[in-house]
Amino acid sequence: MLKRKMIKNFGWPLKTAMREIEVTRLYPEVMMELPENERGIHELDATTCIGCASCARVCPNSCIEMVHFKYGNPLKNKKMQFPQVDYGRCMFCGLCVDECPVECLKMGKKVTMAGWERKDIIKGPDFLATKRFSAKEVADLEAEAKRIAAEKAAAKKAAAKEKPAKEGNAAGSAKKKVDAKPAEGGAA
Amino acid sequence: MTNASEVLSSIQSAFPGAVLDSRVESDRRLWATIDSKKILDVCKHLTNKLNFDHYSGSAGVDWIARNEMEVVEIMASHGAHKVVAMLKVKTPRENPSVKSLTGLYWNANWYEREIWEMFGINFEGHPELYPLLLSDQLIGSWPWRKDFKGYPDLTTGERAVAITTPEGYTEYRFPPTPAEVEAGTVVAERPKYPTFREREEREIKSDSEMIMHLGPQHAMVPGPFLLDVLVEGERVKKGFLDVGYIHKGIEKIMENRTWLQGIVYTDRMCYVASLSNNECYCGAVEKILGLEVPERAQYIRVILEELSRIQSHLIGTGEFLTLVAGVGYAPWQYMIIDRERIISLIESVTGARLTHTFVRFGGVRNDLPDDFAEKCKTTLPYIKSRVNEFIELFAQDAIYQKRMENVGVLSAEDAKRVGIAGPALRASGVAYDMRVEDPILVYPDLDFKVIVGTKGDCADRVDCRLREILESIHIIEQCLDRIPAGPIKPEAKIPKKVPAGEAYYRVEDPRGEMGMYVISDGGDKPYRVKVRGPFYATLQTLPPLLEGVYIADVVAIAGSMDGCPSEADR
Ligand code: SF4
Ligand code: SF4
Repeated sequence: MLKRKMIKNFGWPLKTAMREIEVTRLYPEVMMELPENERGIHELDATTCIGCASCARVCPNSCIEMVHFKYGNPLKNKKMQFPQVDYGRCMFCGLCVDECPVECLKMGKKVTMAGWERKDIIKGPDFLATKRFSAKEVADLEAEAKRIAAEKAAAKKAAAKEKPAKEGNAAGSAKKKVDAKPAEGGAA
Repeated sequence: MTNASEVLSSIQSAFPGAVLDSRVESDRRLWATIDSKKILDVCKHLTNKLNFDHYSGSAGVDWIARNEMEVVEIMASHGAHKVVAMLKVKTPRENPSVKSLTGLYWNANWYEREIWEMFGINFEGHPELYPLLLSDQLIGSWPWRKDFKGYPDLTTGERAVAITTPEGYTEYRFPPTPAEVEAGTVVAERPKYPTFREREEREIKSDSEMIMHLGPQHAMVPGPFLLDVLVEGERVKKGFLDVGYIHKGIEKIMENRTWLQGIVYTDRMCYVASLSNNECYCGAVEKILGLEVPERAQYIRVILEELSRIQSHLIGTGEFLTLVAGVGYAPWQYMIIDRERIISLIESVTGARLTHTFVRFGGVRNDLPDDFAEKCKTTLPYIKSRVNEFIELFAQDAIYQKRMENVGVLSAEDAKRVGIAGPALRASGVAYDMRVEDPILVYPDLDFKVIVGTKGDCADRVDCRLREILESIHIIEQCLDRIPAGPIKPEAKIPKKVPAGEAYYRVEDPRGEMGMYVISDGGDKPYRVKVRGPFYATLQTLPPLLEGVYIADVVAIAGSMDGCPSEADR
């Protein structure tokens, strides 16, 4: 009786082996399907990042460094500083993504990042940015930023000249800022 | 039923003046500062009169501003009532010393040893105050004190000096630099004690006995620990454990990270139970913050924690089978393949396979994807049928039964006495499950059974685990039916600073009782986090359990405990 049961058990692996049981062997020929929520390599929307460095501050491994990148929005990100991620240290926890105030940092489905040297897996904004401005757009935006700065400077000068009428001027410069807003939005 | 205030008044009337300070947090939590002279009597009273038969662990805290140290004894009961008493004993920072509870509770041994090596608090009457987790070089620097200056960086190979020992071996030493001596980062005087090697060799009484090493590296066990057994012929006479090979100091690291960053570290304690570790830490912090978790988030947490339990039990059982049977007969691959489906389910919600960092203070990170319920409807019945198949397979295999039945038997009394938890305890017939004892989230509304075994042998432990998978599937199905729509995070922003306070929170980890004791001093970082992990308790019970068994059964017994040394070492 027992023997018969044991023989039945030996049949079990055979039965299972008949089925389609490939799981991890597919890689790298076939990539397994990753879910929408996958926390893979970061995706940066350079057109909206404000360079606040919140992501760099919250990272438990300090793998984010803020570096210069050309194709962002100079109106919002005055110093043009964008995150660069050291994937040698990143553990894909996603805290940086949650912390970003303008939701421009996401994590995508891309997961391959191997390189020959350690410095190869430090990925700058150029690699991370999925959305960026073209050189021309940046030039336009920079001109816009310059114009706004010049206007502000002019307003300041005017304010310095008319010292007694301080309050009126302050209101004036505030108004100018409001004027600048639509232009900025349009460019983005 | 006993509640916390009754326990307090009982102590107060039996020992007038012994309770220096007390706080009844809820019916289930009692915080009391006990006069250090009376602690033994109070504990005896609790155990004998009030059914506190579960010594759950102890934690050390260094209150440097008040110039004193504290040892917190965590006492609970195996089902007689649901009160957890947190008894604090104070001692000055100079020559700190408290009474040892090892005479009353067998399992106090390791907890007190750990506090000694980390804080330098002496335990009067402790039989073997030797290092447990730390390496010998670190003993005497008391690294978890708040004024610990850091240890010299001994990781660079250039500093190594080769020394030839009298036996002719080459050893490497790392002498400190004069600057380090001046800075005080080097231990000036190291306490004297016999080393692990000396302690075990002391036990060899005759020529027919020898010591056999199992580990610290074993191809199948997920983390390293050294199990030495003293054998005579085919029988084990005594077992010795050396742990701490992957001691990461997570509790100390968390003191130096913000509250939010701490969640990440709880993942890394045990990667197969990272969701329940997340839950435990976040739950404790939520308690201090007084946060309510939205109902939908509670359901999501329960669903994911149960899924995580399923995958943990599958990998645990698979590992165990590989340990006992090598490759000839190993459904390990089948369990891993099945587990893959559960992992993909979890991944579709959290975005990560193992280290989820998913639970947040007051909520969860992501909502369930739209097709989640549908995917569950195909996956869960499949897992159910497979698990039933596994159960049947084990039940009818004569070789398996001969190998497992009546091996490593832990009676109910012994299991309670040694403080083991989780499936290993329930296999002995003690229905002790945190989901019932200390219900959190929506567990009280759900219908599920606590699976218990009858004999407490290896076969029972594995069987309990497999049947718990079925119970978890039942829980998830209920949750999916009931889960309401709504927010998954609290509306208000979580403050960066947590108000001063303390909390002890317990969850049922796949391996048993996981508790975290979190203290806040009002800053943006935890003041102290103590992790009371389930496998720590299980590991401690291994040596006595191995006494008198055959060598071939050692792996069967150790494997049936479903270990995760990473979580024991932290
Ligand atoms: S995912 Fe985590 S570790 Fe990686 S950069 Fe973001 S915060 Fe840092
Ligand atoms: S990615 Fe987000 S958080 Fe990081 S600098 Fe840009 S805006 Fe700030």
